[in-house]
Amino acid sequence: MSIANAAFSRRALIASAVAAAAATAGVSGCSTASGGAGSSAGSNAGSRTLVVGMELAYPPFETRDDAGEPTGVSVTFMRDFAEEYGYDLRIENMGFDGLIPSLQTASADCVMSSITITDEREEQVDFTDPYAVAQLAILANASSGISSIDDLNQAGRTVAVKTGSTGDVYATNNLDQAEILRLADESACVTEVSQGRADGFLYDQLTIYRNQLANPDTTVAVYIPFQDPEYWGIAVQQGDDELREELNAFIAESKRNGEFDKLTETYLADEKAAFDELGFRWFFDFDEGSDAGEGA
Amino acid sequence: MRNPFVAGPDGRVTPAQAVASYLIVCAAVIGFFWLSLAMAGIALDFGFVARFRQRIADGLLLTLGISAASLVASLAIGVPVAVGQGSRVLPVRYLCDLYVKLIRGTPLLAQIYLFFYIVGTAWGVENRLVAGVIILSVFSGAYIAEIVRGSLSSLDAGQLEAARAVGFTRAQVLRYVVVPQLVSRTLPALTGQFASIVKDSSLLSVIAVIELTQTMQEISASTFNLFGTYFVLAGLYLVLTLPIMFVSRWFERRLSYAH
Repeated sequence: MSIANAAFSRRALIASAVAAAAATAGVSGCSTASGGAGSSAGSNAGSRTLVVGMELAYPPFETRDDAGEPTGVSVTFMRDFAEEYGYDLRIENMGFDGLIPSLQTASADCVMSSITITDEREEQVDFTDPYAVAQLAILANASSGISSIDDLNQAGRTVAVKTGSTGDVYATNNLDQAEILRLADESACVTEVSQGRADGFLYDQLTIYRNQLANPDTTVAVYIPFQDPEYWGIAVQQGDDELREELNAFIAESKRNGEFDKLTETYLADEKAAFDELGFRWFFDFDEGSDAGEGA
Repeated sequence: MRNPFVAGPDGRVTPAQAVASYLIVCAAVIGFFWLSLAMAGIALDFGFVARFRQRIADGLLLTLGISAASLVASLAIGVPVAVGQGSRVLPVRYLCDLYVKLIRGTPLLAQIYLFFYIVGTAWGVENRLVAGVIILSVFSGAYIAEIVRGSLSSLDAGQLEAARAVGFTRAQVLRYVVVPQLVSRTLPALTGQFASIVKDSSLLSVIAVIELTQTMQEISASTFNLFGTYFVLAGLYLVLTLPIMFVSRWFERRLSYAH
């Protein structure tokens, strides 16, 4: 229903003045109206609206600040893109499951929400070139004795995953011995592990690293070697080559001109230091794994 | 010939009238959704049903099983609590009162998380299914207590005096005066409560009880078919709840003759 609503409000936006944007876009729209539309809209006369779907629940990539305004790596990235290409940016917050459907119903123009490019998803939407690379890790219960992915893939072991995440896909395809526990909520997965109900939680390295810090006595972080890297892309509606090409150009430029280093410094300085120490591959580090390019 | 769309002056509705009007209403509702789908540009795809029919059937059966077990257990909780709310022993009365207020005043989702991860972990409730049935029973028990208490307090005190005046023992008063009226007054509402339990059991998906909702969410996550799966999900819950609501209404009509 909310998606249908968004479709109507979007039409209204295009037809009416920019002033309507703040009113119809709701909470998440307010900040973009001040950031994107407020300052730059005047100079880009007749500018185009760009509705970006995000799940604002994955700090520091997509999240809200203390005042409830969208913030994070993806938010800043899309703002910079919108400014350079003359778009009025509007960020729509929605559940992860609703992101791809929002493109299919044209209630969003693109989705930037730390989405891994997969074959299944490419049947539903088109992806830009990858802008980041991520790998999975295990949050294991400290007393489970698990020190590798093979320890986890045993009969009698239980693996918690977030429903529909790449951890879910990996577990479904690779962990044929363990029981897979699919939960809707990330923090429920962590609770399962810290209480020992599940032996491990399979998710991206950043989340695992953070949750291990939050539960130092009950959990350990376990690195998974030899996995295909996961590439994150921005999803657009199928056939929307114009927007996809613009985004590709901006991503390529950002890799060259240090935009991603700037984002790292702003949002991820501590994590970068920790990843370097652990030997984890950094999100925007494309040189190292260029040989594994067709992994996705 | 009287107007086919208006009930008679005595409130009577002929079967033909009922069927005709119901069909029109159903057509209007379906038309509204069909129009909404067209306007929102959504094409529904139900191809996944055949592929996942075994999992869907398992989920449906588990939902039914959880609901039935919870109904029985919540009756076992609700009836004593209803009686306890009128107890002369004050701690018992207030305990029952507090239980009903706490449960009815908080969201089921919060109860599920708090019970499963705190109480369940502390007391060793490892099995998700068992935990789910306990949570749902405790939840529904509070509502059943309210239903039973309502009909208990609606019993006319004069009847009890009359029964005692004609020499009934306490057991006979219970058997011939209280229970028949209690049943006729609570059965329709209890049946309705069963429909609520069926729906509420969907929230157990958050602790990975693989009932109908969890099954459909897993299917949705692997097929990206959000609308198709939730359409089927809603339809299957209706398949369960509509007959229950029908029986509830039937009880209501049937038992109103009793007095």
